[in-house]
Amino acid sequence: MPLIHVAGSEKFVFEERASDELCAIASKFVPLHTVDAAAELAIDPLTYEVIRHRLSAITDDMGDALKRMSGSVVVTDCNDFNAAIADEAGDLILVGQYNMQLAASLDMAIKWTLEHRSENPGLRPGDMFFCNDPWIGGGLHQNDASVFAPLFYDGELFAWSGAVCHQVDLGGVSPGSWSVAGTDVFWESTPVPPVKIVENGTLRPDIEDMYLRRSRVPKLIALDLRAKLGANNVAQQRLTQLIDKYGPRVVKAVMKKMMHDAEHRLRSKLRSLPDGTWGAVAHQDGARAGDSNIYKIVLQMTKHGDKLTFDFTGTDAQVEGFVNCTFAGVRGGIMPIILTMLCNDIPWAPGGIYRCVEIISERGTINNCTFPAGIGKASVASAWATQNAVSECVAQMVGTHPQHRKAAMSCCQGTWDLALLAGVDQRGAPFVTMLCDPMAGGLGARVDQDGVDTGGQMPIPMGRIADVEINEFSFPMLYLWRREEMDSGGPGRYRGGLGGSSCFVPHDSPLHGVHLVVSAPGKALPLAPGLAGGYPSATSYDVLMRGTNVQQMLAQGFIPGDLDEIDGRHEVLPSHVETNMAANDVYFTHWQGGGGYGDPLRRDPHEVALDVASFRVSPRAASDVYGVMLKTDGTPDAGATEARRRDLRRDRIGAGAA
Amino acid sequence: MIHLDDNLMLTDDGAVMCAHCQTRLGENSHEPLAHAVRRERPSRDAGPGVHADPKTFTTREIVLRQLFCPGCSTVLATEIVPRDEPSFRHWSLGAKA
Ligand SMILES: [Zn+2]
Repeated sequence: MPLIHVAGSEKFVFEERASDELCAIASKFVPLHTVDAAAELAIDPLTYEVIRHRLSAITDDMGDALKRMSGSVVVTDCNDFNAAIADEAGDLILVGQYNMQLAASLDMAIKWTLEHRSENPGLRPGDMFFCNDPWIGGGLHQNDASVFAPLFYDGELFAWSGAVCHQVDLGGVSPGSWSVAGTDVFWESTPVPPVKIVENGTLRPDIEDMYLRRSRVPKLIALDLRAKLGANNVAQQRLTQLIDKYGPRVVKAVMKKMMHDAEHRLRSKLRSLPDGTWGAVAHQDGARAGDSNIYKIVLQMTKHGDKLTFDFTGTDAQVEGFVNCTFAGVRGGIMPIILTMLCNDIPWAPGGIYRCVEIISERGTINNCTFPAGIGKASVASAWATQNAVSECVAQMVGTHPQHRKAAMSCCQGTWDLALLAGVDQRGAPFVTMLCDPMAGGLGARVDQDGVDTGGQMPIPMGRIADVEINEFSFPMLYLWRREEMDSGGPGRYRGGLGGSSCFVPHDSPLHGVHLVVSAPGKALPLAPGLAGGYPSATSYDVLMRGTNVQQMLAQGFIPGDLDEIDGRHEVLPSHVETNMAANDVYFTHWQGGGGYGDPLRRDPHEVALDVASFRVSPRAASDVYGVMLKTDGTPDAGATEARRRDLRRDRIGAGAA
Repeated sequence: MIHLDDNLMLTDDGAVMCAHCQTRLGENSHEPLAHAVRRERPSRDAGPGVHADPKTFTTREIVLRQLFCPGCSTVLATEIVPRDEPSFRHWSLGAKA
């Protein structure tokens, strides 16, 4: 069925309003704590720094609390969560260094709640709200479930705390809620707009039941819910202690000043950069299982004076599938790049930083879709692609500055290679999990150095992968290998960081197999472009080998180290597929690295020789892409390299030039 | 003179020049690579990093599209994109043209 507009869905859309306007609406029903500009001017620098760092420590403590209480490997070992603190108007003062995509939309959910929930059911001390509706905010797809809480002090709404993490399953047609065959949101987990899940300090069982009822693993989701309540409790307690000590006027003034400082410092940096316009495009191959089309997000970023405008005009219309994202995804694609590439020396106070940014995006497009477009994969589909385009534009702009250029980075890991496993684990319990190994993506090359191999991802500075043994202990799987992959980093004068691969078999499940959902674009074309002529990273590559002899090999004490060593039927998987793995099936998933920087024919031949010696670059790529010929001892052959590079240069602009 | 990236310089008279061989690539920064040589090849010519034939996944033709300095053949821009799309990766300096 085609996407048909749902009358009434307009209510569940985040509308940008000035904070003053929003506070005027909410203050009819709830008293808000505010300070005047004089309070900010009165703070001495020492007090400012002490309180600012204390707020940062509280955000860290929230993350710690969440992580310690969660039972999900996605959270405990891979850090796919975040925490944030906002002022009374919902403007973010701080986000943690975990998944910044998640926290970059928490302000939207808080602001919507202020506008639509202040009167009824009202905002009172001891309340917490739950939301997983990405049209409203708080996350990028339904699995990003957030809990946020107003903090009251002396009867006034002083600030907000919020925590969000990826939930492994919230229902929908496919396990893990990644409905690869879906055409619209009704195939997916039902979004929940902000509801009061904690009232006067007590978790409401009726609301909790309504939430958990949809999941295939409700006990795990219940534990994660408590982890988020715990994170908010930690914030509420520590913030109250902080206000007790310094007084509400001083603490609030620090919060406002943090945002003003971030804004002023970003504006100052922008003024030091040349005015200009930079264009980029980010593709995705396939919007759902069986779809062979390619979709594009087009960006034109303009820097004028101290302002950045992100104009997505020309982006493809929303599609039947599960890869669209809402406006939260556009913001989630922009903010992490601004924070990491432009604010490396500026406090991460998104509430101030957003004041320097304008977003032009048409509703009904693939990265600003309307209800009921499918958004089950939004975070790692159109939001991720948005981020790729933003990364490319910001890096080119920053790269023109003699000092700031060092922060420029080619695009990191162009896509998330999703492998979702579900079934019955070795203890006989139902399980669902997203394999987070692609969290070890390759970072993009810099203007003066190679990208970090399996260094992570731009939007999750604290991202990490679980130990192989933790995954094997937690889920019915046995790894044949997990490693960095040769030639996966984009070639360039500076090479993009390598991506990696995992290869495993189902193991020890009473069902003798597992259910597998795969979703990874970037197979028809690589999605992490390079800069300054640098090449993109490798494409994603997922192979399922059916009916293999792997069990006999293992019984004979031999662990295969390459797919070529295994007998079986070789299936190169499309971008999106859902299937089952039997005990003798082997799954190989190869995620992308980072883009390169500069001309690979200008890379130091000795660096190429080292790359070949350490299996980062193949001899074929050394010769064909880098033009480096090696002697039998592995060192560069200077004469042969010069001749090879001369030939390659001639070939570049010879026959076929247009 | 401003270094724009590893290969490009903006001269004081507003032209864009190859940093390696001083060839003028564009007379102004609104069309910075007007004189660059443009070439398209099959995407797998980018090297072994392009694992599978794009035809396995899509009916659209995918190409490696590059811009080169006509003076020294340095690659100035690289992208792997559907052939039927124009390049969206243009840039210009100064106020919007
Ligand atoms: Zn040149």
